[in-house]
Amino acid sequence: MLDALLSLVSSSRGTTYIEARYHLRAVSEINFVNGRLERVRMVENAGCGIRVLVDGCWGFSSTNNAAGLKDSLASAVSMARVLAGSKKHRVAGLAESKMVKGRFEAPVRGKLADVDIEEKVKVTKEAEAAARKNKVVKSASAIYRDMVDYKAIVNSDGAQVEIFDSKPEFNVTAIAKAGSQSATAHEGVGITGGWDDLFKKSHLDYAQAAADKAAKLLNAKYATGEKTTIILDPGMVGLLCHEAIGHTVEADFVLSGSVVKDKVGQKVASELVTLVDSGLSDISRNAAGTIGIDDEGVEAGRTPVIENGILKSFLHNRESAFAFDTPSTGNARAFTYSDEPLIRMRNTYIEPRSDRLDDIVKETKHGYLVKGARNGQADANGEFMFGAQEAYLIENGEMRELVRGASISGNAFDVLKSIDMVGNKFEYDIGTGYCGKYQPAKVDGGGPHIRCTAIIGGVQ
Amino acid sequence: MQDVIRLAIKEAEALGAGDCEAYVATASESEVFIENNDLKQAKSQDSVALGVRVLANGSLGFYAVNSVSPDKVKQAATMAVKMARVSPRDKFNSLPSGRSKVAPLRGIYDKKAEAFEAGDAARLAAEMLQAAKSDSRVSVDSGNFTAALVRHWLGNSNGTLLSERLSAFSWSVMGMAIDGSDVSSFDVQSGSSHSVKGINVLSAADEFVHTVVNSLGARKIDSFNGEMLLTPAAAIELVEEAVEHSINSDSVQKKSSHFAGKLGRSIASPLLTIEDDATNPQGLAAASFDREGVAHRRNVVVEKGVLKKFLYNTYTARKDGVRSTGNASGSTTSPPSVAATNFIVAPGRQSLDSLVSEMKQGMMISRFSGNVNPVNGDFSGVVKGGRIIKNGELGHAVKEVMVAGNVFKCIKNLTGLSKERKVIHSSILPYMRFGGVSFTGG
Repeated sequence: MLDALLSLVSSSRGTTYIEARYHLRAVSEINFVNGRLERVRMVENAGCGIRVLVDGCWGFSSTNNAAGLKDSLASAVSMARVLAGSKKHRVAGLAESKMVKGRFEAPVRGKLADVDIEEKVKVTKEAEAAARKNKVVKSASAIYRDMVDYKAIVNSDGAQVEIFDSKPEFNVTAIAKAGSQSATAHEGVGITGGWDDLFKKSHLDYAQAAADKAAKLLNAKYATGEKTTIILDPGMVGLLCHEAIGHTVEADFVLSGSVVKDKVGQKVASELVTLVDSGLSDISRNAAGTIGIDDEGVEAGRTPVIENGILKSFLHNRESAFAFDTPSTGNARAFTYSDEPLIRMRNTYIEPRSDRLDDIVKETKHGYLVKGARNGQADANGEFMFGAQEAYLIENGEMRELVRGASISGNAFDVLKSIDMVGNKFEYDIGTGYCGKYQPAKVDGGGPHIRCTAIIGGVQ
Repeated sequence: MQDVIRLAIKEAEALGAGDCEAYVATASESEVFIENNDLKQAKSQDSVALGVRVLANGSLGFYAVNSVSPDKVKQAATMAVKMARVSPRDKFNSLPSGRSKVAPLRGIYDKKAEAFEAGDAARLAAEMLQAAKSDSRVSVDSGNFTAALVRHWLGNSNGTLLSERLSAFSWSVMGMAIDGSDVSSFDVQSGSSHSVKGINVLSAADEFVHTVVNSLGARKIDSFNGEMLLTPAAAIELVEEAVEHSINSDSVQKKSSHFAGKLGRSIASPLLTIEDDATNPQGLAAASFDREGVAHRRNVVVEKGVLKKFLYNTYTARKDGVRSTGNASGSTTSPPSVAATNFIVAPGRQSLDSLVSEMKQGMMISRFSGNVNPVNGDFSGVVKGGRIIKNGELGHAVKEVMVAGNVFKCIKNLTGLSKERKVIHSSILPYMRFGGVSFTGG
């Protein structure tokens, strides 16, 4: 495939830049609900996306037909010309970047293609049944999904890349019920890696953890809404990094007027905070957002966004990097062949420090320890919200009762400045999630436990 | 494409599948993106996709591929049968009988859409952008205009063979207002139409400008308990998702619906009437048949607060011994699930202005950013584009306000609906007002 793309790219006339990306994705998915096979499917999706820059305008075209690449290129060029009349500011250039000539292979223990669909069905079925062994769990589901990707990327600036990626995920949901009360809990894992990497912990352990959590939450009261001390678990720290900070430092968003626009070099967080977005799986293995090389053929390494509280860098593709006169950080990602690369996060985390979790709790007079990341969103003004499955009340340095999950909110940079304790044990824990920005992206995030001040939503 | 469907069915039957269904969709799309207050990129895409579902002795297999070459069609059928062999048996798995009569639906295909070009999409995106920039404080982060011509075919081994064409236009604009160091909440406005005539990018742009500019100067407030007035967009996020989950027969059968066992009973204020109606061409989900080839129909789900019916596909209907309501859902890449089509809330008699004028203390919410638990209805999140209402007057914008409550209690405490409604893709909703909601200030 690489050869076909090379010949296509070299044949192009009248374009400032051309990029051709072939992408074959095989998806397997199995979902059991209450003892029934809800869904089983395999999907094969293959094609080529071609992006061109003509007179400072972007055109993109995609086709599933490998024999029609020339027509598709012509279509991409005519798309770019469509904008010539009404685009105000032409793309001035793309940042000089070292174009990768080589390959990225996800480190895999237990190739997913070698695991028979029968085994995947069996594991999912067993986990779902195990979650319902708990008497108060009235409904359960287990879902297994994997994406196995082959990509070939060639561009007119010299990139020649092959990518072999493997991203499986597994999640168990348990719903406990008694009378009119109900509580939902999730336990899961999503990684870059193979079958044996995914199930380092048994599938039945995830089931039992989800069931136990739902049962505990069933009798829990609601939190009282207040602004207070909050201890975030690694998954919640991952969400904080992703939602509250990560989106505001995406350079396309910075250009439209994000709150951090003029803040590079300034103190935006407590000096305890070093926040990184990385295309590699730093500190701990198998992070789900690992890519190695981005979809513009740029190496996707470690990008420190905040170092000891000082804002250091935004997240760039080559176009935004040119505008900021800086190298691309390798954040250009496309979900399928028919999507164009956009600035997206990869693995976003806060680096660990020295505090033990026990000590963080002991030194908290009143507050909550929140666990179990759900979803989250961020806003233009730095305001964010994200959901937690569980929250434990802390009074005078002791963990008290469990209260029901709630949303946590605040202004991202106020919350970052309020961080006064950072734990010593690191974990990635949002790998089952996808980030949405016109197209999905597999991302991950994490950190140690941290202590901050934020609003916990609840009843008045 | 009919040959593709026949080939898939023939191949699956030869391999021992008792039942087979093949679903093919082709799409030709052009899309223009807006980013950072300018047009960003134009894109064209031609796609074809096939999904093959087989049932062998009651066991399900499904394989999808984005090609209709004979070898890929055969591969899809072979793999689907292979998967069915390792899947557990489920006696309720079946295909529709093939006797359902499907009448063509008018208003979902506009012949003029065939002459619509990428250049037209660029012109309309530019017009929307220009209207959004009519106020110099507005910054458009992103947006798009998309035009699509779609054709889909569905056939099965019970003799069903259907096809229809659809045209769809959709657009959106997202961003904020910036006044010095004051940055507003995000807002996003969108619109859609099946016809060229129905395209109206200016109304989305005007509403967007109005919302973000009025979100400037946001202040923190003290916590209180009062009334909540939701825009149609906020009602989708806060109310529609949980209600859709609960009227879905699949949720009922999985014991995760709050409405289970409540047919014929009052579950909401008498002000509330909800329809699921894929035959209404105003909604983007309009089509003449569902993902299994069953004819779409108008389903009155909630009438004056009373729960009237659940939504079914063939599988869930068979389990409950009833008929499918035409709610098999999904694309070519998945076996059919159950879902609402166009979700329509009947309008009220009052104007939006009169709903506001009646409120003593409350909040108008443009967007909700948070979590709704569709099983028990609990919600908790942040108010976006929120404005305080006191003594019937719409006041200043608010920031860092969280709202929490329960959707199912809210719909019982529904105190008003506007006569004005908005079409947002497949939702047609009025402004909705609820009593007794908790707001927590930061």
